[in-house]
Amino acid sequence: MAELMLPDSRRCNYFFLYDGSKVRGEGDQTREGICYFYPEETPLDEQELLCGQLVGTARCVSELSSSPVRILRLRRNKFSIRVKDDFFWALGCSVEVPTISVCELLDQLINLFCFYTGSVRQSYQRNSKESLAARWAQYLSHLQSGSSELHHIFSCLRTIDSTNVDPLLLLKAALILQACQRCPLVLAGCILFRGRVVSTQMSPELTMKVMFHESETYTKPQRPSAPSTFSSFGGAVGSTAVFLTLSELQYVQSAPVDKAFSSHSTPHKSTASKKTRLSRTLSDTPSSSESEPSDPGSSQSAQKLYSPHLSDRSVLSPDPAAPRPLEPPLSNGTLSPEAEEEPQEESFYYSFHSNGDGGSRTHNEGEMPDPPPPRSAAFDLPEESPPIPMTLYLHRVKGLVLALLVEPHFLSDTASMEEVYHCSLASLNGLEAHLRSVSPGAPGAPGPYIFAHLDCIQSTLTSNLSGRPGGAPERPFVRATSLLHSHFCNTETLQEAIIRSAGAAVYGTRSVAQETYFQQHGGSLRNSGIPNHQDSAFSLPGKARHRLLKHGVNLL
Amino acid sequence: MTTKTSLLKVILLGDGGVGKSSIMNRYVTNKFDAHLFHTIGVEFLNKELEVDGHQVTLQIWDTAGQERFRSLRTPFYRGSDCCLLTFSVDDNQSFLNLGNWKKEFIYYADVKEPEKFPFVVLGNKVDVTERQVSSEEARQWCQENGNFPYYETSAKDATNVAVAFEEAVRRVLALDERTDHLIPTDTVNLHRKPRSAATCCS
Repeated sequence: MAELMLPDSRRCNYFFLYDGSKVRGEGDQTREGICYFYPEETPLDEQELLCGQLVGTARCVSELSSSPVRILRLRRNKFSIRVKDDFFWALGCSVEVPTISVCELLDQLINLFCFYTGSVRQSYQRNSKESLAARWAQYLSHLQSGSSELHHIFSCLRTIDSTNVDPLLLLKAALILQACQRCPLVLAGCILFRGRVVSTQMSPELTMKVMFHESETYTKPQRPSAPSTFSSFGGAVGSTAVFLTLSELQYVQSAPVDKAFSSHSTPHKSTASKKTRLSRTLSDTPSSSESEPSDPGSSQSAQKLYSPHLSDRSVLSPDPAAPRPLEPPLSNGTLSPEAEEEPQEESFYYSFHSNGDGGSRTHNEGEMPDPPPPRSAAFDLPEESPPIPMTLYLHRVKGLVLALLVEPHFLSDTASMEEVYHCSLASLNGLEAHLRSVSPGAPGAPGPYIFAHLDCIQSTLTSNLSGRPGGAPERPFVRATSLLHSHFCNTETLQEAIIRSAGAAVYGTRSVAQETYFQQHGGSLRNSGIPNHQDSAFSLPGKARHRLLKHGVNLL
Repeated sequence: MTTKTSLLKVILLGDGGVGKSSIMNRYVTNKFDAHLFHTIGVEFLNKELEVDGHQVTLQIWDTAGQERFRSLRTPFYRGSDCCLLTFSVDDNQSFLNLGNWKKEFIYYADVKEPEKFPFVVLGNKVDVTERQVSSEEARQWCQENGNFPYYETSAKDATNVAVAFEEAVRRVLALDERTDHLIPTDTVNLHRKPRSAATCCS
């Protein structure tokens, strides 16, 4: 297994964006079409070679097969491919990286660009190739930095380590976000601490995009081209223009904000606050009305509030058929409110799942060899509609950041800005003080087992891996997890699997909402090579169920 | 006098719901919100002001009054320069608990000389008509517990809020001045040679 280790933490070996509209005539050189190529030091000849070959191959394969190309696999690299109009993206990773991770990395990269820059075509009409190249480089570097390898495999959010943080502080963060939403110009927000999510009201995908800006402002606070800051708020507040896709906007708007909480005159509230003894508890506050069926506004606000950690228990409800009230609608494709994204989703899976139903697909794909008409799109990226400009507002208190998606005119509305600033300042100060004083928690001796648990809905990872780079004993686990994750993604019906080498066995199990991986240390593996009852690998599922209960992971 | 701005940490303690957050918000932002959620743990705001020619940055720490938040709030008592013990005049129990709050503060703030530490007592919600605690009772408690200054405040209509914070600052400054005076008498000047010793041994 050792020789198969990834050489370094760099995931992406190649990335390029090619604009086919620049290379139309016989005499046009391929290099004219290369908008950005990574690694940047690659000789131009080689850039042209790779671009030319991949674009040609992809076109050829997609025309032959009448279906969009998503992955091209070579001997040492696999390339995720995306095409939109004349633009062609390819991102190449080592073949050991799960295909799904390569695809997700490319999608994240393109989505980051579109979030901060808007439509790709318009960006290249308005800006120089060089300035946009710098952007691609920043986004790529951001996506490859920081996180552990498991985070890369699962493309999940980096969250604060909830095992050391009082859950009340997560509630505090969620309440700060709710308080900000009392201003109608505030759509949704998230709170980050030292580059990790504390609480978010946005989908994991959107949260990930917001986190790029946070890390940028953190590392380069005073860039000359930095987004505007507001001197009246002591330089702690800044903003930048962003662009949402229609589906993102619909999602953000679909989660209704409990405006009753903000309006100060609901009779319901005044009765709740009328009491004799003042030793109130959380349960007799206005939010307690969430349990009352007569108040739909409040109960909906509970859905809106999904802190990565608070809702763990409900998401992990033992009965998979039980309703999960805190599940955000977007993460599950079938519940997603946006209809226009569905074709893309299906085609995406179609390319992975050989048993996928492609019946409806062929109709679309019949059109493909022709120049694509505007709506044909299995070939296209999701956002058919033009990106919608919004503003990302950031309020930093040392390592803590409040990031809010706001309507663009929020910035010119002094009263709203002051309201949001003042309603959150004291709490942010306090939360920062609390989180700063949380001890990182002793790394501890390596336990008798390793596990990794992915919450697919919130895209969060729980693990007892040390996170040390290149932790040798953990390599087999990470590698096995990566393989199992690939299998789970490729085979929808697969629920449990054990993957083993001579020295280690890793158990994986998944449901719609979660994936869990478990390896037991110690005790020699009794492995005869032939399945038999004595084989210790078969006790892994039972051990996993038992051991992981104390981490809040319920596999029963 | 020093022209340097000094940072003073004052902390608001008292039962849940007596109006600590409202007092802080009234003083710093001059706003009042009757439907504030419980404070979880601690929060703070800074306010710059001038008292008797001293430029001061007041860092006002607001704390959660509920018992369940005790472990979250107590680590932040340390380093406080003044403690504002707060109760609500329409809630007798919150008044009776003042002693416990004082004890909790002295314990966790690790105050060296509790009898000299500046406490200020605030009876909040004087705008409410049905009082459960009279001014006399409150003043008597203050008298008996260390002669603390007592203010009847209302965060709702801004009564006495600024005055109370300014008094807190004065108490801290007065204490600082006293210790300033004490320093020269208590310290040994290492730069001056004790001549007598030299002559004696040679």
